Amino acid sequence: MQDILVYIALVIAVTFLIKKFFFKSKSTKKGNCGSDCGC
Amino acid sequence: MSDGKVVKVALIGNPNTGKTSLFNRLTGLKQKVGNYPGITVEKKQGFCKLNETVKAEITDLPGTYSINPTSLDETLVLDTLLNEENETFPDVIVVVVDVENIKRNLLLFTQLKDLKIPTILVINMVDQMKRKGINIDVPKFEERLHTKVVLASARKKIGVEELKSAILNYKELDTTPVSKISTKIDKDFFTKLKSALPEFPLYKSWLLITQNQEFDFLTDTQKKLVTKFREDVVCIRRYQHKETIFRYKVINDILKDSFNVDASKATNLRGILDRILTHKIFGYVIFALILLFIFQGIFNWASYPMDIIDGAFADLSAWTKSVMAPGTFTNLIAEGILPGIGGIIIFIPQIAILFTFISILEETGYMSRVVFLMDKIMRKFGMSGKSVIPLISGTACAIPAIMAARNINNWKERLITILVVPFTTCSARLPVYAILIALVIPNKPILGFLNLQGLTMMVMYLIGFTAAIASSMLLHKVLKVESKSFFVIEMPNYKIPSIKNIFYEVVEKTKAFIFGAGKIILALSIVLWFLASNGPAKFKNAEATIKAQTENTSISKEVFQKKVASYKLEHSYIGYMGKTIEPVIAPMGYDWKIGIAIISSFAAREVFVGALATIYNVDSDDGDNATIKQRMAAEINPKTGESMFNFSTGVSLLLFYAFAMQCVGTLAIVKRETNSWKWPILQLVGMGILAYISAAAAYLILS
Amino acid sequence: MFGTIAGLQIGEKAFIEKLCLENIPLKLLEMGCLPGIEVELIQRAPMHDPLYIKVNGSHLAIRKETAEKIIVSK
Repeated sequence: MQDILVYIALVIAVTFLIKKFFFKSKSTKKGNCGSDCGC
Repeated sequence: MSDGKVVKVALIGNPNTGKTSLFNRLTGLKQKVGNYPGITVEKKQGFCKLNETVKAEITDLPGTYSINPTSLDETLVLDTLLNEENETFPDVIVVVVDVENIKRNLLLFTQLKDLKIPTILVINMVDQMKRKGINIDVPKFEERLHTKVVLASARKKIGVEELKSAILNYKELDTTPVSKISTKIDKDFFTKLKSALPEFPLYKSWLLITQNQEFDFLTDTQKKLVTKFREDVVCIRRYQHKETIFRYKVINDILKDSFNVDASKATNLRGILDRILTHKIFGYVIFALILLFIFQGIFNWASYPMDIIDGAFADLSAWTKSVMAPGTFTNLIAEGILPGIGGIIIFIPQIAILFTFISILEETGYMSRVVFLMDKIMRKFGMSGKSVIPLISGTACAIPAIMAARNINNWKERLITILVVPFTTCSARLPVYAILIALVIPNKPILGFLNLQGLTMMVMYLIGFTAAIASSMLLHKVLKVESKSFFVIEMPNYKIPSIKNIFYEVVEKTKAFIFGAGKIILALSIVLWFLASNGPAKFKNAEATIKAQTENTSISKEVFQKKVASYKLEHSYIGYMGKTIEPVIAPMGYDWKIGIAIISSFAAREVFVGALATIYNVDSDDGDNATIKQRMAAEINPKTGESMFNFSTGVSLLLFYAFAMQCVGTLAIVKRETNSWKWPILQLVGMGILAYISAAAAYLILS
Repeated sequence: MFGTIAGLQIGEKAFIEKLCLENIPLKLLEMGCLPGIEVELIQRAPMHDPLYIKVNGSHLAIRKETAEKIIVSK
């Protein structure tokens, strides 16, 4: 029983880390984009 | 009105107008801070009860001088107001202006007013009017600006009720534009624009074609039209300049007969303070003293709550183990999760103290003087005067520091600041430095009044700072990033800081740290715990193996258990990882045990100490209560027969921790803030190489 | 007499004559730096950069490179 809980916690943690690092690049804006900073 | 109706309000204004005070006054603690989808700017919202049935949902938009954005934060104001499908698109805009800077503040108002969204004008800080000899003809103002004017003082609680009732009755507001820019700039051009996009108010179409960004809410046909209009860049730039000049003309006309200032009432406190605070000698001396005071606060005052937190979490772990049924999940909680949470909470005192200081400096207006004073110096290193705030914040934690770099307009200056901030000695390095210095640096006085250990700690700070400066100079030379941005900051009037605003600011920043970086640290702690407490076949057979080894000797049960634990750690996944990297880290003088500690400290550097505690705890044969320091001192290097943590290894480790980018939380923030993998990887590799070479060189020379 | 903001003495006032529109950011205009407006140099930072000016009721700090592009008449 406890083992199952551990694996659940581990899966949540790993999923979170992967999501945080690999799937958060949906943003379309880059850096500072104003009319004056030429990017 | 129907039951439970919600009026959406957007609070907009220049920086330093007391907009945040008004927001806090209206919403109290009923605030929530989230992120706007896709971008990193924080979204501050709060609720305010207008009457029995109607609530206002107030969005506090970032301070801006104009609707034309020059930074990421300001882009948001434009996005919110142009996209009607946006969930924060307001029913009514509340523009907050500072009575003392009304002319410049009204520029933003006239721009907003032309969008034909109901708009209320709040003239804030009116309690200052009498003292400054300012007189406003409100009815005339309302007539000329086609709006409802509320005289308010958020700090003195004046005008708040009047504003609430004005919000409640927003449907009665006049939406006539104030300035008819079309006829004054180029009639033909604007007629063409109007007929191309007849579905929008003219000013909205104008804004759409003058920006460099894509607007996702437009249809494909609209996008094509907008792109076509954008082609004539020179022309559009000229029109934008004309527009601004024209708007100021309109504003001057309005102010001429409804607003006057009795110049004789002006005091020169500002001038006197400016002369002292930006003096070429005293200015720097005062700034240095303030910095010293802040560091004193961070390190001395914070140590008390930090000790309490440290002890409390150790007790909590022990208590959890005693009450929960023994098993792997209990171990996960007691050895993985609780220490992980403790490792986050322990930073709160320092972060809270640091942000209290920083928000006091910002609220008083002093920070702008620091930026003014430091800009030229920082520019020599490729940074901006505005980089000073991130670099100071970095001594507590790099994560909020990197977020503080957002208000640097110039992309190259901002990028360099983000890249070098992790070199500053953050508080997570302190426990590592403390234990290593205690181990390898003799505790003896030097020059009579200094202590060699204390001096070493200071040298570590200097090393971090020097590395930051040196690498920024290098990046300044090497980086080929195009940025033709400029630098203009407002030098606001000096103010007495509002305790309420500081409190909200500190709570918000601390929360951002806990929920941003904290989650990553916690998740990584869980993974590392798992790797340390599981392993392949040899790990599972640990007890049998040790039993076979010790068959003919008589050892106590306790010693037997420790031998098993030690064997398990050696053959756990993380043990194998430590052994795998051993050849790589050997030139720096480390063995696989230190390798484990280094891998573990990617969650947060201070985990190094805890990891070594675990390793040596389970490693030592005598089960007495020797401290972690004594256990480390007793560790023998099997190859040399000397103490493992001798002078050369100690210095090598100190340098490694000073330079290596060992913080997953920081990497995640850099990735988010730069929206690219390139920069965090550059940091990881660049700092790693520097750490490796300097640590190996130190080991080679000293041993 | 014509000059630029960068050439003013501390405490000296002048009128903005011309801004080199191609090089001057819109933001500076929006903050009140407009032709015909009086500008006063309040202070120079150590090493003479940036400059602290008062214009149109606003107190601003701008870098020397920007100030050199704003033509004033004394």
